[in-house]
Amino acid sequence: MNMTRRNFIHAGLAGLPCISLAGTHARLFAEAAQAAAAADRNDHVLVVVELAGGNDGLNTLIPLENALYYNNRKTLAIAKQDAVRLNDAVGLHPSLAAMGELFKQGRLAIVQGVGYPNPDRSHFRSMEIWQTASIDKRPPAAGWLGRFLDRLPPAPDDRPSIPGLALTGELPQGMRAGKVSAPVVGQLDQFAGLEEGGQPRHQLRRKLGAASTPTADPVNFLRGQMRAAYRTADLLKDAAAKYKSPVEYPASGLGEQLKRAAQILSGNLGVRVVFASQDGYDTHAGQLEPHAALLSDLAAGLAAFDRDLTALGLADRVVVMTFSEFGRRVAENASGGTDHGAASCLFLQGAPVKGGCHGQYPSLAELDDGDLVFNTDFRRVYGALLAWLGCPATPVLGAEFAALELL
Amino acid sequence: MTRQTKKTPERRGGSGGLSEKRRFEQKGTCARMAAEFFAPLPSDSGHRFDEKRAAHLLRRTGFGASPAEIAACVERGLADAVDGLFQAPEDEAEKYARAFDVVNGGMLNFGDADTCRAWWLLRMVSTAAPFREKLALFWHGHFATSVDKVEDTRLMLCQLERFRRQAWGTFRDLVLAIAQDPAMLVWLDGESNTQEHPNENFARELMELFTVGIGHYTEQDVQEAARAFTGWHREAGAFVFHAEAHDAGVKRILGKSGRFNGGDVVNILVAQPETARFLAGKLLRFFATPQPAADVVAAAAELLDRTQLNIEWFLRDLFQSRYFYSDACYRQRIASPVEFVVGTVRTLGVRQPAPELAGNLAGMGQRLLSPPNVKGWDGEQEWVNSTTLAARAAFAETIAGLNAEGNALQPDCPIATRVSPEITAPDQVVERLAEVLFQGDLPAAVRQELAAFLVLGDDGPQPDAFRDDEGFRAAKTRDLLAVMLALPEYQAY
Repeated sequence: MNMTRRNFIHAGLAGLPCISLAGTHARLFAEAAQAAAAADRNDHVLVVVELAGGNDGLNTLIPLENALYYNNRKTLAIAKQDAVRLNDAVGLHPSLAAMGELFKQGRLAIVQGVGYPNPDRSHFRSMEIWQTASIDKRPPAAGWLGRFLDRLPPAPDDRPSIPGLALTGELPQGMRAGKVSAPVVGQLDQFAGLEEGGQPRHQLRRKLGAASTPTADPVNFLRGQMRAAYRTADLLKDAAAKYKSPVEYPASGLGEQLKRAAQILSGNLGVRVVFASQDGYDTHAGQLEPHAALLSDLAAGLAAFDRDLTALGLADRVVVMTFSEFGRRVAENASGGTDHGAASCLFLQGAPVKGGCHGQYPSLAELDDGDLVFNTDFRRVYGALLAWLGCPATPVLGAEFAALELL
Repeated sequence: MTRQTKKTPERRGGSGGLSEKRRFEQKGTCARMAAEFFAPLPSDSGHRFDEKRAAHLLRRTGFGASPAEIAACVERGLADAVDGLFQAPEDEAEKYARAFDVVNGGMLNFGDADTCRAWWLLRMVSTAAPFREKLALFWHGHFATSVDKVEDTRLMLCQLERFRRQAWGTFRDLVLAIAQDPAMLVWLDGESNTQEHPNENFARELMELFTVGIGHYTEQDVQEAARAFTGWHREAGAFVFHAEAHDAGVKRILGKSGRFNGGDVVNILVAQPETARFLAGKLLRFFATPQPAADVVAAAAELLDRTQLNIEWFLRDLFQSRYFYSDACYRQRIASPVEFVVGTVRTLGVRQPAPELAGNLAGMGQRLLSPPNVKGWDGEQEWVNSTTLAARAAFAETIAGLNAEGNALQPDCPIATRVSPEITAPDQVVERLAEVLFQGDLPAAVRQELAAFLVLGDDGPQPDAFRDDEGFRAAKTRDLLAVMLALPEYQAY
């Protein structure tokens, strides 16, 4: 008996590690099946809003009672009485009044002191770290959102699905994936004419381009990709046509993107991740006014999005996360601006979040070369979001990070 | 039960373990292989250097060409045409700075990355030496440096000029120049590499991505090479050697030891057989075929090795080889966005402002001067997804609709430049455009569909209107062009 069993194991399962405990094996299978089922049922949506350029966390979430803040920010400090007070210690930039309302309703979570070890002050490199969720010198090619998308069970063939969607001009690194090709609809009109119907030339283009008669590569491969493009165009057009909303969004790039996000989410296309971006946070000089305008646009956009999702009945399954590649230095510079820094804060918004402030406000006394020191690894935020999306976090993040209780 | 004996994996590439005799025999085999694979295109009637082959040569060594250029190339013959590639003028920089001002009607602001992108595109579109720009693009993808980190566009443009000037010299000289290139010194942190604080970034990529390739060096080699490059810094836009920051001690790299400096490391690396193999694979993928077979790469590596990595000698043989014109290469690549955009503009002879072309490229996933990372663009199938295909289709519409006022055609609209108004039969119009864009290589079934579409009016087929009504014919031909430029067959390059 014993011999047979051993032979069986050697012959049939050679190479598989940890196969001696048949019980563990069965349990692992059951867990994987459960996880797959949960992922299948889960219809939660993450909307990521990138604040490109390095948002000044200190002037976003202001340490109201900290004298060091006022000392370091002679011209840029937000006066205590102007800030939107959240509690005894911190207040939001006055431009973020709408977000203060969401905070009161428990729909806004603020994570303080977010960052990562050995912070890099290059936009390019630090963005790469946030988007790949890796501090390795040679990060994975796929982004963290792309890796999540790759793990989703495939949609049944009869159900149209666009799991990931970028509203930016180009596919952000975070959404680069191995298998899933997330459409970028930065310019929705780029898809115009690709949908069914349209001009006779468009119909002919579709007929010839997406022909399904098999042929040799590369034409065969291109045809397959074209069929996918045409299907995406159909779905997006359909969603846009059905969307009706009284909510007004700010007439800005971000406002447009968020409106489009609501439009597409209302179309029930199986979207799980949306990526939007707002640029301009690299405030090296004359920061006060442009920064106020950016935050004001952000707050107006996010508040409109929140109202719209509520009206569309989607509020219970959508969470927005903002992030920026780094914060700014504690001391302002001589040009009325701030230079590239390190740790900062980020927002999670939506009905599902545990509202309030999480993590510690970083010390303004104990700095690392003039920069705030992080106390919360950003991947702990990602971990919480991945779990909420029904996805095991460790394989996506490549290591274990204690998820914050944010949701 | 028999125990499986463990097979010793065969050594690849390096021949350190082989006897002199074996090594010699192996070399002999490779040489024969190279001779076979890169045997010249025969001169018999089945291999005539015709329009198709000339267009193939002009696509791969440039960006596509007009029917007149293709005809002239056929006329010259293959040997002469390839000679011509390497006789390109060396420096057109000033001419292009002036040309850009004329086109854009304003001062050239080289501080702006978008302007620099447009400027390069303008050169690609209008240069008399497209081969030099094509190789510059190849090297830009190989030594992939991004303005997003370098930030200083002047450094990027200097690097680009270096690629142009040294486009087809010896690889060793180019690697050395790049190791001292200010943009590269910023990009891979060479400027902060000192004896006290060695920075391995450049040394690692030099081995992994620029020369021998991953798996052919150790961590120790990287660390030692980084020491050899200490003190290789820059002051503003120029390379400087800071002796006080240089580690002059003994280093041990890939089995050799000495008081090496950066130049020694470059010499050691380019002498490795793996460098020839790595470079051969890259050159073949860019110029010949997306997935070259292993024996083709081996033969190409041998050829490169024999020429001591002389790019010109290698490419001369490749471009005149039977292999280069075989089914393994012909229209087997997927056009990169640059090839698609610049190629279309050159093929049709249209004018379009370069900044707009740069915008088109971004939508298709290729921002010049901003490769996604130090590995460069993955290319081929990675270019293709819903979004980038939509961008290609949109570009096709833009080009086909250029300079059309109502239904009339302006003199430099793409239809007027390529389809004579005397052609009034729908199948001949299709024939003509199939000739311009595909040198005739378009399936008959597709042509039939296209011809049927040409005469289709609001109320069904109107062949008489197509023949007699110039406005109707022009509008339909423009629509036809938009369809043809978006065909999957047209993206096959």
